[in-house]
Formats: sequence, structure tokens, C-alpha cells
Amino acid sequence: MSNALVPVKSGEAQAGDHGELIQLVSFSLDNEEYGVDVLKVREIIRMPSITRVPNTPHYVEGVINLRGKVVPIINMRRRFGLMEIEYDKQTRIMVMDVEGELMGFIVDSVSEVIRISSSEIQPSPAIVTSGIDQECISGVINQAERLLVLLDLQKMFSQEERNLFNNI
Amino acid sequence: MPIDCEDQELLEGFLAETTELLEKLDDDLIALEKASDDPELMNRIFRSIHTVKGASSFLGFDLLVRVTHKTEDVLNRLRKGELFVTPEIMDVILEATDLVKTLVSDIKAGEIVDREIDDTINKLIPLLSVQPQEQTPKVTEQSASSEAPPKQDNSTLAEQPHSEQTGSTSETAVGKELPSSLPMPPAVTAPTPEVPKKPVPPKGGEKAGGDDLSDNTTVRVDVKRLDDLMNQVGELVLERNRMSQLNQDFQAGNSDHILFGEEFAKLAKRMSFVTSELQMQVLKMRMIPVEKVFKKFPRIVRSLARDLGKEVDLKIFGEETELDRSVVDEIGDPLIHLIRNAMDHGLETPDERVASGKQRIGTLVLAAVHEGNSIIISIKDDGRGIDTERVGRKAIEKGLITEDQLAAMTQREMFDLIFLPGFSTKDKASDLSGRGVGMDVVKTNIKKLNGLIEIKSEKGMGSEFILRLPLTLAIIQSLLVEVEGEIYSIPLASVLETLRVDQREFHVIGGQEVLKLRDMVLPLVRLEQVFNVKRCHEPDNFCYVVVIGSADKRVGLVVTRLVGQQEVAIKSLGKYLANVSGIAGSTILGDGRVALIVDPVGMVDGGDGAAAGR
Repeated sequence: MSNALVPVKSGEAQAGDHGELIQLVSFSLDNEEYGVDVLKVREIIRMPSITRVPNTPHYVEGVINLRGKVVPIINMRRRFGLMEIEYDKQTRIMVMDVEGELMGFIVDSVSEVIRISSSEIQPSPAIVTSGIDQECISGVINQAERLLVLLDLQKMFSQEERNLFNNI
Repeated sequence: MPIDCEDQELLEGFLAETTELLEKLDDDLIALEKASDDPELMNRIFRSIHTVKGASSFLGFDLLVRVTHKTEDVLNRLRKGELFVTPEIMDVILEATDLVKTLVSDIKAGEIVDREIDDTINKLIPLLSVQPQEQTPKVTEQSASSEAPPKQDNSTLAEQPHSEQTGSTSETAVGKELPSSLPMPPAVTAPTPEVPKKPVPPKGGEKAGGDDLSDNTTVRVDVKRLDDLMNQVGELVLERNRMSQLNQDFQAGNSDHILFGEEFAKLAKRMSFVTSELQMQVLKMRMIPVEKVFKKFPRIVRSLARDLGKEVDLKIFGEETELDRSVVDEIGDPLIHLIRNAMDHGLETPDERVASGKQRIGTLVLAAVHEGNSIIISIKDDGRGIDTERVGRKAIEKGLITEDQLAAMTQREMFDLIFLPGFSTKDKASDLSGRGVGMDVVKTNIKKLNGLIEIKSEKGMGSEFILRLPLTLAIIQSLLVEVEGEIYSIPLASVLETLRVDQREFHVIGGQEVLKLRDMVLPLVRLEQVFNVKRCHEPDNFCYVVVIGSADKRVGLVVTRLVGQQEVAIKSLGKYLANVSGIAGSTILGDGRVALIVDPVGMVDGGDGAAAGR
């Protein structure tokens, strides 16, 4: 099942004449703005103490205790090969539902929930800057003064990658 | 075609109940073959199939109704004494039961497949007309008394038209009310089912797929246990209120430090009491008798014995032993492989047995017993035992080991050869065995459960496979250790001893650090190296060595400091981090941080990989 963007029923105030409304959580990473489907986001938390897990890929920061559940944490900057920075007050973990399992993603900051019409989503350009894997980008939203990259985190963990994970 | 059923709840109820009935039915049918004059047993079987039929007709599963209807008719004749239990009739009935199971699993899968059912039905039909060959007066007497009982013990059945007595039943009459609350037939302690002494001519293959009916998504819990649990939770809520009250008072400055300290200490004591009670209750709820797995085996053994032309007497002991559901779910497969193995490789054919001066009928004993915090399951046969020479030869032939390695092996290590993937003493793979997969599956599954396997065998006398499994996978005693600032937890069950040693006492043999411990040489594993921990302390001459063991192998783990012993609840690391080497899982410490649990089996195997030459 792909990370289908779930449309909000039209008929609400903003429901325009073109396409269905979708809601995205936007977050920033290395000065770029990204968006993920709001329904996949379980919660957004500040940095707790993280326990390192040995023998895992470098972008696995470790695991945290989320009210009795052990949740793996991925460092998005490391995952996308961006420069690492110190965690600050803005740093957040987005706990998301990835194929039925909870996973946390460390991002620079989380800004807001935005509503857009699905017709505003454009296919991603062939070459994307900043080294982010092409396949996790499901589209780009180009509004007046902002550019939002739509991520599909499900794709970030393709089958092969997960197998690789398991064989470490 | 997809299932057209408006009421999903009703359907789920039907599936849960039918599954349970069918599981029991298998057992009862085998028992019936042994004790065909037990009217209570006969009636129970009849009731089960009748309930399934009624429910399926209510929900409109026509294929199911047709099969169960005919089966019911045959059973009815058996019940009335018009027909007698013979292996041939049992074959047909068992085949029909298998078909019913297949159909039910189709429904469970959400797709009704148009299956060929006429074959089986055609086998049932002749049984409706044949006359019994011989009469034993005893049975006829009992059949008279068995007319009535089906309705006396549960009201729902009593409200249904008494189709039982008419011999052939009409579908329209039954199942006017078939809510999911249909009472179960009362549990009666059945005599230990045994396999027929006489092998019967094989007729009709056993259908696959029927075995996977057990459903682990729902649990039936004793209401009493649930009430107890509710009470405990009530207590817990009370204590929580007390705690917030205490906090409020303290914040408001109404109580001084000393008073607060005293009150808090009391509270902590009560809290710990309530939570440990609660923990016990919940654990108990997760416990189910091992019978759930064992009850499939008489049936499997019966059909295996027939296929192999062997005569087997299966004895089951300790089926009431309780263990955690997660363990129960996992041991089914390994046990089937071990039983197959014992039947196929262990036990001889009747003629061979007589020739070697044994009883014609082989014995297979399946026993379960508690021992401390673990459960021990043993599968013992009195067959030919493991021929270590032959095992060794085969292992060399298959290129699994070299001559030199074999020469250096102890008998125990030779037994262990049979667990190697790809090992088989058979030259040709049959549909039963010979691919060299089975024992590997056993080993892997048992390892996954943190269990141990031990083999005892004597040539010519038989062999015994002993499985030692943890009672529960949920909560374990563990030893917390510190490795350069990081806390790890080691399951206490595999810790043999801990020592404080001077690092200068370490020796290096072939690049491997070892420690001389009394009369043995202990290979050492530095956890900081295995887990790539960054050094944060100044190197110290003294360190601690935790000696862990799995099977008969020992390894010493070098750690910085011992923290203490603690009971920890095991949490999985999730799908993504499921197979991290050296890590078995994680747990949450008192301060809310996550600590990783060291996998002792992985450590031991990794540690002496070179030595064992695997």
C-alpha cells in the first residue's frame, strides 16, 4: 500500500473547484521545507534521551522510550547525507506510522499543518538538490513564496533496504 | 467469490467457535477409535459437527453445510449403533473433517473457493446404507440412552428442533438462533488418545491446510481472572490518587520533609505490591496449557504411522503444564519436526522391532514438565537411536564437515550434527523427510525462544530430545552491566558467574583473548568492541567478566562495571531493528531510558565461531 495522501472531504470552506484538500505537516531540514501527510504523523516530541543501538546503519540514531513503547529513531540529516548540526531548542522528533510500525525522525524543526489542494502537487523535477533520494519524493508544491517538498517516508525504507538492515 | 455476510461480528463469532470445535473434534475422533463404546464421547462429537452445521447453514455457507450434513448422518448411525467404528469409517470421517477445516479456512481467508467436495461426500454416502457386520449387544444398549443427552446441558441447543432423533436432519430447521454465544460442549477429561494398534490401509490423502486453524488473535479469559485484574487495577488507581494527593500537599507546603518521606515510602511499598500482583495476573492470563499444541499430535502420529507402515503408541504426559502463549505459538513447528523425525528415523518397522527383540509396537512419549523458571518438553522414542558413525559419515559426504573435524568430535557434538542445515541421513528426499530442513527449523525456532536442546541417545535403545524453554518471553530476570557508560542488560538465566579480574591476567591465544578460570580456558568477548562503544573512562586494570553459557559453551563478557540485578519487561525493537546482531531486544529502566538486552546465544556462537569450525 502506498502512502496515499488521504483527501479531506470537500465541502469545507477552502474546498476549491480543483481537486481534493489534503493536509500536510511541514518541517524543515537544512533550510528546505518538507511536507508529510498529516495522518501518518502520530506525534511530535522534543528530544528525549536516546539509547544508541550498536551494529545498525549510521543514520539510526538509536531507540527511545515512548510511553512504554520502544521506538527506533532515524536521523534525517544523516539519512539524506546532509551536514550534521547540534540539536537545539527547535529540534523535534516526528513519530510516524510507517507500515504499521512507529518510527521517529529527527528534523530541524516542525512548523505547521497546511492544507493544500491535490491539484497543486507537481511531479518532482528530475534532479533534486541536497542529495535526498529521488524515490522518497512524491511531489513538489510550489506556492507563492514557498517551495514544499512532499516526502513519502514509506518509500524511504524500501524492501531491499530493510533486508539489508536485517542482515547487518 | 468474496464472502457476502452483513454481520461481521457474527461471522467472527462463527469462525472462532468453529475453529475451537474442530480442534477438539480431531482429538475426540482419534479417541473414539480407541473407545468406540463411550456414549459421552460419541455425543460430544455429534454435537460438535451438528453445531458447525447449524451455524454454517445459518450463515449460508452451502458447501460446508453439505459436508457436515452427510458427516452428521454417518455419525448419527454410529451413535445409534447402526454402524460400528472401523478404521475405514474413521478414515472417511477424518477426511470429511479435514475438508470442513479447509472450507472454514477459506472462509477465514475471506474468499470462498469452489472446492471439489463431491469426492468426500460420495465416500460418506455408502456408509449411510451399509448394514453393520456384527453386533455387540453392549453398544446397542448404550445407543438407547444416548438419544437424549445432547440437549440437557445447554439451553440453546435445546431450543432447536430435535433433529438428532430423526436421523436425517433438515437444514431449515436448525440454527434459528446461532449467536456467537453458543455454549461449548462441556470439557470432559478425555482418555489419553492413542493410536490404533493395527495399521490400516491408506485411503485418501490427508488434506493439508487444516492444521493452521488455530487462531491466536483472540483469547478466552476466565471471568474470575478478569475480575481479579479489575480489582488490582482499582487498587492501582487508588494508589495513584494517593500519590497525587501527597504531591499536592507537599507542593502546598502542608507537610514537612520527614512526614512526606515516611508517607512516600509507604506509598512506594504499596505500589510495588500492587504492580507485582498485577504483573502476575496479566502473566497468568497469557498462560495457556501446552495441551493446545499437544492435542494435534495424536492425529499427526496416527496418519504418519499409517503412511510409514509403523506401529506407534503415543503417550502424552503433562499436557496441563501452562506456559506463555508466545512460547506455545512457537513450539508447534519444532515439535512436529521432532515427532516426524522420531517416527521416520527413530522408530523401526514392526518386523525390524520383532527381529531385534523389542515389542512390535513402538512407543513415543511426549511429556511436558515445569522446572524452575523453564518448561521442559521431551520427545522420547524407543527406536534405533542415533547412529553417530553414520551421522558422521553422512556429514562428511555432504561436505558439511571435514574428516579432521569429525575425528576431534565428542559424541555430543556428533549428535549436534543433525541440526546442521542440509544434513540428512536419507539419500533421497521423500515427502516426509530427507531435505535436511526439519532439524534446522527446530534449532532455529528453539534458539529464537532462548531455549536449549539436548539430545540423549543410545544406539538400539532409542533417543530423547529434550527442549528447555523459558516459561515466558515477556518478563525476565536480568543482570544490568555498564559498558563504558552505556547500560546493557544480560538475561540472568544464561549468566553462570561474575568475576572481578585484573586485565593483566588475560592471555591471548591465536588473537583471541582468554582467561584461565579454574581448570578451563574461557574465551573473552569485549562488549565495548562488539558494540563499538566509545571509550569514556580511563583504561583501568580491573574489569568485570560475566560468564555466560548457552548449551555447553561458555564465554566471558568483559564489562566495565556491574550495576545490579533487575526484573525487566522485554520490549521488541520493532521490525526495522529486529535482527541486530548481539542484541535480543530492549527494556525500559527505572529512569525511563531504554537499555538493550544482550543476546547470549549470539554472543556464545559468535565468540567461538572459529573454534567450532562452522
